[in-house]
Amino acid sequence: MKRKFLLLTTFCMMVLAACAPGGGSDSEESNAVSGDGGSGKQVLDFWYIDPGEKEKVYQEAVERFEEKHPDVEVKMLRVANDAYKQKLAVSMSGGNAPDIFNSWGGGWLKQFVDQGQVLDVTESIEKERFNELALDNTTFHDKIYGLPLGLSLDLVFYNKEIFEEYGLTPPETYTEWVEIIETLKENNIIPIALANQTKWPGAYYLMNFAARIGGPDLFNEAFLREGRGFDDPAYVEAGEYIQEMVEMDAFNPGFNGVPYDEGQGRQLLYSGQAAMMDITMSLVNNVRTEAPEFEEKMDFFVFPTVEGGQGSNKAVGASTGPVWSVAADTENPDLATELIQELTSQETAEAYTNRTGSLTAVSGVEPEDEFVNRMYQVAEEATHLQMPYDQTLPPELAELHKDTTQALFGLSITPEEAAEQMEAKAKEVLE
Amino acid sequence: MQQADARLSTVLEEARSKSKKKKWRNALTILLFVSPALIVYAMYVIYPILATLNYSFYDWNGSSVGTYIGLQNYVQLFSDSIFWTALRNNTWITLTSVFVQIPLGLIMALMLFAPIKGIRLMSSVYFFPFLMSTVAIGLLWIYMFDPINGSINQLINLLGFENVAWLSGENTAIIAVLFVIVWQFAPFYMILFRAAIVGIPEELYEAADIDGANPWHKFSRITLPLLMPTIVSSSILAIVGSLKAFDIFYVMTGGGPNHATELMGTYMFKQAFVNFNMGYASAIAFVMFFIALIVTILIQALDFYRQKKGVFSE
Repeated sequence: MKRKFLLLTTFCMMVLAACAPGGGSDSEESNAVSGDGGSGKQVLDFWYIDPGEKEKVYQEAVERFEEKHPDVEVKMLRVANDAYKQKLAVSMSGGNAPDIFNSWGGGWLKQFVDQGQVLDVTESIEKERFNELALDNTTFHDKIYGLPLGLSLDLVFYNKEIFEEYGLTPPETYTEWVEIIETLKENNIIPIALANQTKWPGAYYLMNFAARIGGPDLFNEAFLREGRGFDDPAYVEAGEYIQEMVEMDAFNPGFNGVPYDEGQGRQLLYSGQAAMMDITMSLVNNVRTEAPEFEEKMDFFVFPTVEGGQGSNKAVGASTGPVWSVAADTENPDLATELIQELTSQETAEAYTNRTGSLTAVSGVEPEDEFVNRMYQVAEEATHLQMPYDQTLPPELAELHKDTTQALFGLSITPEEAAEQMEAKAKEVLE
Repeated sequence: MQQADARLSTVLEEARSKSKKKKWRNALTILLFVSPALIVYAMYVIYPILATLNYSFYDWNGSSVGTYIGLQNYVQLFSDSIFWTALRNNTWITLTSVFVQIPLGLIMALMLFAPIKGIRLMSSVYFFPFLMSTVAIGLLWIYMFDPINGSINQLINLLGFENVAWLSGENTAIIAVLFVIVWQFAPFYMILFRAAIVGIPEELYEAADIDGANPWHKFSRITLPLLMPTIVSSSILAIVGSLKAFDIFYVMTGGGPNHATELMGTYMFKQAFVNFNMGYASAIAFVMFFIALIVTILIQALDFYRQKKGVFSE
């Protein structure tokens, strides 16, 4: 009897042992089955983040692709910007990555490349079709892991009507900027709208000030651990400038608790409660869907220079995005690669730039729109395009950069502390 | 005779072994019936807990092979000031849930039985917050708390005070979210208490009336003692729920500003899926599990003691 019980126990344990580690592979298999099962069509999952007109441009590209391949169905899924990074990371580590996904290139994409999750598409594309700087941002170890469609600039947008009313002209230097801020405050207008709960909008101030003070090479030196570091006096000074602006009430109150996607920050600009906003060009697309009447009141200037700084205003903050990449575990690598090429084709790029007020990383596509064309000229004349830190640095350091910058804005740490924390983490993470 | 004796003993033995056999067969049957649930439980509960414990000893980014670093993650965790902030915030939620939410739920339930006109309508009004999804509630309150145009600040303005940037201050953000949590979950306890109050026999109150008890006596001597089991189970739900809290904070503050509203849950999520420190996140997860385990054991023990001693029970 005892033996029977023992046998039974061992049997049970064996069943358990066999089941437990098998759990993961089971679910993967069932996914694989559902992938090409069902209607008999090949299915490609495609995740992107842009709403509005951009979304339509992608939909049309997908339609063109589906016409060529009637047996393929592309399942498009739009994920909200703020939640996207986490959602993709979760699905990647769960082995359920979409076939085609959106990224911004840089360190965040590299993280997945290093994990072997992204397909190398070097062989199947023509390099010349893309802006070199933009393509560099998706190239790691000399292999290309993504095709950039959009190129975005970081600019300070302002309300022309308000500027005219108070006789203001776009500033060239920080001192001029401060004068404008003072004038606006006297007239009960919030000088600058900032939605910094998501942290990246505020990070642009740190990046811009640092580039204006320490010159455009500062970041690369710190990132590549050659020369100056993240504790360079230029970074400390950049933090001081930020805190000076906060102390002079240049921003809307409570900015650290205002999320960007929900639009309260932009609302301040649209309604004329605030006069300026330092943000990426994606604002133009937002304006066209959220408040089209605002577009004619809107103009922009490049982030002002600071006295005694090494950087000029020809160095512009820029980012690539969307960048389309293919997941390494896709069942249809050829189809997926073809789709990302359609998503960056001449036709898509022209529609993208002309209809959404954006620039494209596809070479030789000049915007027809006069307003956007002026931004295009800024990009053309730029001597340096600074990709955002949080998309270049490895995630852990990127988060710290955004956290410390938000804390600088909240006046809860000193610029020295922020710089020290960054440098300490950089030493740990960047070898 | 001897033969008969021998036969009797064999019969007895057979019977005994039969009953033993029967017992074993019973055990086997029970095990067979339990085994599907047992296997699922082992696969989805026990295995992940053990796996998490295992991962917490590694420096691991989630996909490549990790390096074994022993207790390093735990050493780092206990000197990590953000983790302590998170633990403190979880404690705040627990305290608010038990000492604000549950009493409020009780008061709301008692009000429903008060002879006030139109109180029936209130019972559904009270219950509305609990019916909404947490994300919707989060977004709703983000707009309500907006530093400039939010309705809360408009109200504060009307009363003649300065605007408060609720979600932006490191000290006010936690208060704002705790307020929303109370608003959202108090109705849930109200429903529990209402059901319990309905279950109290009317005769007890009639007897108390005859004895000349005033309303306070009726509440403290009859209603409260008879509600004690409900209060205990509500407390368990509230405490365990507070330790696991995540969603409303994730939606409303994202753990910010400057980690002021970080919870163990949100911090674990950030370490795992933002910073890709799976090993470190596993250590946080395991500490969370451990705390919840200790708290649950404590509550169960206290409840056992209470029932044994008959404190507050009939």
